[in-house]
Amino acid sequence: MAGKPYRVPKGLARERLIDRLRPLRFSFDGKSMSGFHGDTLASALLANGRRLMGRSFKYHRPRSAVGIGAEEMNALVGVGDGARHEPNLRATQVEIYDGLTAVSQNRWPNLDFDLGGLSNEFSRLFPAGFYYKTFMWPQSLWKGLYEPLIRRAAGLGRAARERDPDTYEHIHVHCDVLVAGGGIAGLAAANAAAASGKRVILADENASFGGSCDLSGETIEGLPPSDWVEERVRALKAAENVHVLNRTTVAGHFHHNHVLMVERVGDHDPGLLAKGAPRQRLWKVRAQTLIMATGAIERPISFANNDRPGIMLATAVRGYIDRYGVAPGEECVIFTNNDNAYLTAIALKSSGVKVRPIVDVRARAESAIIDQARGAGIEIVNGAVVSGVETSRGGASIDAVKISPYRSGKGRIVSETRVACDFLAVSGGFNPAVHLWCHNGGKIRFDDRLYSFVPDRHDAAIRAVGAANGKMDSATCVEEGYAAGQATAKASKTKKSKVHGKAAAGQQSEAPLEPIWFVPATGKYNEGNKHFVDFQNDVTAADLELAQREGYESVELTKRYTTLGMATDQGKTSNVNGLGILAEATGLSIPEIGYTTFRPPYTPITFGTVAGPNRGPLFLPVRQTAIFDWHVEHGADFEPVGLWRRPYCYPKGSEDRASAVRREILTVRNRVGLLDASTLGKIEIKGPDAGEFLDRIYTNMFSTLAIGRARYGLMLNELGFLIDDGVTVRLGEDHFLMHTTSGGADRIAAWLEEWLQTEWMTLKVFVTPVTEQWAQFAVAGPDARKVMQKLDGDMDFSAEAFPFMSMKQGTLASYPVRVYRISFSGELSFEVATPANFGRGLWDAIIEAGREFGLDVYGTEALHILRAEKGFIVIGDETDGTVTPHDVGLSWAVSKKKRDFLGKRSLSQPYLAAHGRKQLVGLYTEDPQEVLPDGAHAVERVEPKPPMRTIGHVTSSYFSPTLNRSIAMALIDNGLKRMGETLEFPLEKGIVKAKVVDPVFFDKEGARQNG
Amino acid sequence: MAERRFHSALQHRADRAGAKGLSIALKEMDDRGVIDVRGLPTDAGFLPAVKDVLGFDLPMDPRTSRSRGEISALWLSTDQWLIILPRETAPDFHARLVKSLAGIHSLVVDVSDARAIVRLEGDTVRETMNKGTSADFTDSGMKAGTVRRLLYAQVAALAHVVSTDPDVIDLYVFRSYADHAWSFLLATAREGARVKLFGKQG
Amino acid sequence: MLSIKCPVCGVEGDETDFHYGHQAHVARPATTDPDNISDQHQGDYLFMRHNPKGLHFERWRCDRGCGKWFHAARDTMTMEFKAYYRIDEMPPDDVKKAATGAWAQVFARSQDGGDG
Repeated sequence: MAGKPYRVPKGLARERLIDRLRPLRFSFDGKSMSGFHGDTLASALLANGRRLMGRSFKYHRPRSAVGIGAEEMNALVGVGDGARHEPNLRATQVEIYDGLTAVSQNRWPNLDFDLGGLSNEFSRLFPAGFYYKTFMWPQSLWKGLYEPLIRRAAGLGRAARERDPDTYEHIHVHCDVLVAGGGIAGLAAANAAAASGKRVILADENASFGGSCDLSGETIEGLPPSDWVEERVRALKAAENVHVLNRTTVAGHFHHNHVLMVERVGDHDPGLLAKGAPRQRLWKVRAQTLIMATGAIERPISFANNDRPGIMLATAVRGYIDRYGVAPGEECVIFTNNDNAYLTAIALKSSGVKVRPIVDVRARAESAIIDQARGAGIEIVNGAVVSGVETSRGGASIDAVKISPYRSGKGRIVSETRVACDFLAVSGGFNPAVHLWCHNGGKIRFDDRLYSFVPDRHDAAIRAVGAANGKMDSATCVEEGYAAGQATAKASKTKKSKVHGKAAAGQQSEAPLEPIWFVPATGKYNEGNKHFVDFQNDVTAADLELAQREGYESVELTKRYTTLGMATDQGKTSNVNGLGILAEATGLSIPEIGYTTFRPPYTPITFGTVAGPNRGPLFLPVRQTAIFDWHVEHGADFEPVGLWRRPYCYPKGSEDRASAVRREILTVRNRVGLLDASTLGKIEIKGPDAGEFLDRIYTNMFSTLAIGRARYGLMLNELGFLIDDGVTVRLGEDHFLMHTTSGGADRIAAWLEEWLQTEWMTLKVFVTPVTEQWAQFAVAGPDARKVMQKLDGDMDFSAEAFPFMSMKQGTLASYPVRVYRISFSGELSFEVATPANFGRGLWDAIIEAGREFGLDVYGTEALHILRAEKGFIVIGDETDGTVTPHDVGLSWAVSKKKRDFLGKRSLSQPYLAAHGRKQLVGLYTEDPQEVLPDGAHAVERVEPKPPMRTIGHVTSSYFSPTLNRSIAMALIDNGLKRMGETLEFPLEKGIVKAKVVDPVFFDKEGARQNG
Repeated sequence: MAERRFHSALQHRADRAGAKGLSIALKEMDDRGVIDVRGLPTDAGFLPAVKDVLGFDLPMDPRTSRSRGEISALWLSTDQWLIILPRETAPDFHARLVKSLAGIHSLVVDVSDARAIVRLEGDTVRETMNKGTSADFTDSGMKAGTVRRLLYAQVAALAHVVSTDPDVIDLYVFRSYADHAWSFLLATAREGARVKLFGKQG
Repeated sequence: MLSIKCPVCGVEGDETDFHYGHQAHVARPATTDPDNISDQHQGDYLFMRHNPKGLHFERWRCDRGCGKWFHAARDTMTMEFKAYYRIDEMPPDDVKKAATGAWAQVFARSQDGGDG
């Protein structure tokens, strides 16, 4: 497209934000362009005569920037190269820097010639609900054909494929007052709150403060707006109790004034990123009071083809001229229903842009600003509307607009006048930006002066001020800001807030607005005319009316059916217009129609910011035992166990996992193995009532345990289901050490505390978790005793002096240790615990001592198979939260003597005492080499096809090297009565048959562990 | 008798002595011993028995600590304290405390190896803490001596404000999480990511 | 993200520093008379809970602070905490009086020395 000199001559506009002395270069769709420091991508593109910035989502219509800030719905671009590419950014908010690269989106092969634009030609085929109606059938085509096709055609930008090279972080901050929005109301509020010594945070999404006051044409407390803003910002930055943040969007408001803000730290300056700055920072704020000073968003008016490039919001047009010295064209028509757009006419005129008539919907309107426009020689046409535009170059260029007389409610346009122009400034009034107000349950009410919603009731400590509160003149904005800021200081003990002079009356009385939502066109909707409501999702007035005719009466349903307001802009410019059109279509008032939910975030947040530092190795904490480095050095193949990383096995040379596990098991069964069992939960329990307490916690008896002896215990929840198991040792008369499962360590410690604190408050017991204090290893196998004896120590390891299920404290290889003769492998086994910082030293000493006995390390998989061979259950494998001790053959561990323990009463509830529950059994597959998959279901009878009634499932299944055959445990209906039966497991590859056997597969008498 | 070998939680980290490009100084305090004491202040004899060994009264105000010389006592709960002392004296201190508390309902455990202690020192220590926890370390209530248990970088932790001028905070995390917490600190304390909350802005 | 204050140690923090312990003032029948609990009574104890729109009474644990359990009265509509009180206490009288529905009945019974 040929570029025209759209930057107005120097001196005609204030150009408040750009610095003509700092030119820079950037590229758009590969074409190099120039701009100035301070430009946004949108202002720079317009300055380069580049109006076409993207193609619309559904119809691929050519689009340009409509707005100037967060409200922008059309000009979505991708910014950055390669891994740094970020799609779907609003060009109106992208600050350009030297070397910035940007690309347009949703076009192919290129923006100016786009094949997808054909969908516009066939657009009468794509009404609201089109996808629902058309692609319903046949269902089989959805995944393979329809969805990929639609996804390719309708779309936004593409995410970068490479790993993001930048860093992101989170920070928590607490304050007395958070002011969202740094316009004049926000600045006044922050100043007043800060004066009382309160901790204040002021955040604004833009690079500079002041909101849109620079475009108001008013003075503030006697100063030009920009001067007033500068003075306020300087004062806030100089204060010790204020934190001022620009480029920071207040994205969401949550319970108890929890507020999320996104700070774009380095997006505007690659130099900062190079110095290690995070690209973006997520602020998690807890504010005593939130002051919402988020301003207002201008709304467009729906008329035929109102999406054509060059049709912009009136305030935006004024902003481009005033801030960037950019005129979107040479000849402008203004279309308005309110006074504010007259300011745009005046600004254009004084910048040397021709203003064709102001087309004012209102039949009569008189005010000072209107007089001023008239005085400047600007033609005003009252009681008229813009009913359409004439375009060329595929809709990308405006040649003229059609102006028609208008009387509200009088139906179709009959006569039109053509006025040549190349751009159009539109104002349909202003919507307070109430998004934050609504995120956390705030109510809004319809204001029939603004014809929009304003904040109403809220349960949180939040106040709305200024334009966000429906106050559209500067003086009231400032006044409300001060009042809100001072109100936060009321409880303060510090010196009272300085009294600010009442805002000077720079206020001009305005003529009232006349609501207009929809301008009919000559001809019907689909004769090339589209009246857009939601530009980003290509939702038209016709779509909304169709939804009404099809019975979508609820506004929430209409929203979902038409996708109104569901695009990335969340309907900032479209929601109220949509409601207005629905109101007209139904004959209801807007309050009767209601409104849809405003959801956070206010503008989209990058995934990088959401993740913050929690990515890569920091995504989830990984717990390491004291032996972790040894495991790494010795080639451990790790598996996650909760947050721990434990060695699954230690493959040697070219060994695969299965061979390594097999070797490790045989080492334990035939010689001696060493396991890092440090993750096991350990809890010290002490007090005069400790025995009584354990009797209530465990199903079996612990108060009778002898000092120095250990006992296996089961824990139930109050429902009667197993929640943990382990060995508890009596260290002294009133002192116990409980072992829990690795995964249960924290949970069980909390469980014990809960019962002591909330139910058995009179029991004198203390509970201190000590898991992390100890490194703990199992030395297991027929030669375990020899290894222990070989280590230099002061304990007698003989069978007589150190029997099974007992413990000793002493010294081993110079390290202080606790040694427990307990076994989870079924072998002769000593578990040795030493303070964690000695762990590695003792580990090395054990390996050294075991060398001559062929000691080798084993991992968790060997551990699991060893225990399965012995028929020991694992909480979480054999149990799933619905399993009782009786179900898994552990009735022997359930005391019949105790009157009460946790879960006891529930065990006798009818549904748990009933016969026919699933019971734990062992399984031998007919083919000993066949290993059943975990979770495989046995069925009552194999049918040709499902459904089949299942009678239970496999809970653990392995190939046992010890027995040289497969073994499995399963929970089977009435399992104990089925001993010897053959069960059938229908699997994908065929039916596997297995015989029900005793779940203790090896050394049933326990001779090995007791030896 | 063979020589005992000692491996602190962060001994394996090559950057343990200090990493470059940070806005604060970090170091592992592996010479501290820790004794966990539980008892009821309402039990006659408990507090005096502890004082006999400790040499001073246990702090009774929530989230405070008391120090004398090389020994600090940190309030953890209404019935729980941590005694921080030179590591080599911990076993003897533990034994003496157990003896002093004989017959009094209490639980004293030497947990010198259960946690890793990292000392944070510098201008933006408080902001660095705030990057990992929702507890507010820039609050004026976080005076020297403050003890705060918290969730830091997703893990259970304890912070002890050792001094405020200069800002020194000891961060305690359970030993198995030390590597994670250290990595998180290195990532968030980078000079390029420095944040100074409130105060004069340029 | 709720902000919660522990009445035991006074720490005020995010919800993630606390652990939710479900409905408050649920008496465990087995603690008082383990031998005489009907199936119905045990079933009610295990499963029947109030679900009020409005004032609710809950247990929380100061997970990252002093580790103590405490009670809280919270409005389930506004999320406002109306009171925090110790685990061995009943709600303050004014809050108790504000209770409606099933909770009002619970407190009426406890006046007669029932639940607690």
